[in-house]
Amino acid sequence: MNEIIGVIFASIISWLNFVVIDTYFGLPEAPGVKGAETVGYSIKKRGGNLSGGFFQGNVLCSPDASAGTLLASMGVMLLGFQGGLIATLIVYIGNRLCADPGYAGTIGALSATIIVILGSYIGLTPLMFVVGMVIAITTIQGLDHIYSSKLLGLIAKKLNKKTKLK
Amino acid sequence: MVINNIAEMYILLNYLIAIIISIITAILLKLPIVPESPKRFSWTKSALFPTPIITIGILAIAYSMKLFWIYNGILLAVIISILSGFFVKYLFDYIFPKPNMG
Repeated sequence: MNEIIGVIFASIISWLNFVVIDTYFGLPEAPGVKGAETVGYSIKKRGGNLSGGFFQGNVLCSPDASAGTLLASMGVMLLGFQGGLIATLIVYIGNRLCADPGYAGTIGALSATIIVILGSYIGLTPLMFVVGMVIAITTIQGLDHIYSSKLLGLIAKKLNKKTKLK
Repeated sequence: MVINNIAEMYILLNYLIAIIISIITAILLKLPIVPESPKRFSWTKSALFPTPIITIGILAIAYSMKLFWIYNGILLAVIISILSGFFVKYLFDYIFPKPNMG
């Protein structure tokens, strides 16, 4: 597959993988640590959405499905599917060190391992997923916090995971 | 595909065996099968999470270092899964303590 088209496909797949898993495991619902709370209220003060703000704060403060997707793609690139499993263990240890129960990160890493291996059958290499995940996380954390938090808040509302905090 | 003269099928089978044995070990050690609801905020260690995650992670590290030992690596899978069950039951809280907050 053409490299540019592959990277675009891989970034769309990675984006959906980590946003859906993180939202399902309740990242927009409550801040896990003090830092996530600060980020959430800061984004709300600048006109963003509080659920999306908590999502961004939680992604920033502990390795969730975003880090799981990135590390699992790297692991598969280096060591095959066993690398994805090692990445899952490392993400889980990272989660526990960051005061997080670790469900989102480990499930995200496992699903990313499966997706990257399946992708290799249609010509998407693990390297494309690494680049794609960097692009995907840049659209959430790097471009515009206000708009991305509104989008994340909308997804949280659709999946019924909106925060009850004010 | 062949990894270190062992067919990939055997490796996948070893992972499956490791997952099943680690869950059975954890249940025999009287860990709950699933965490209490709401599961996504629960800190309870259980048979389904994180026991199999630790088992397959350690097994993957051993296999990646070309450590298979005997019988195509199956004995290593069984030993690691039983040890992981005991690790989660007795040592886990000492190494990864819960944060003390509400």
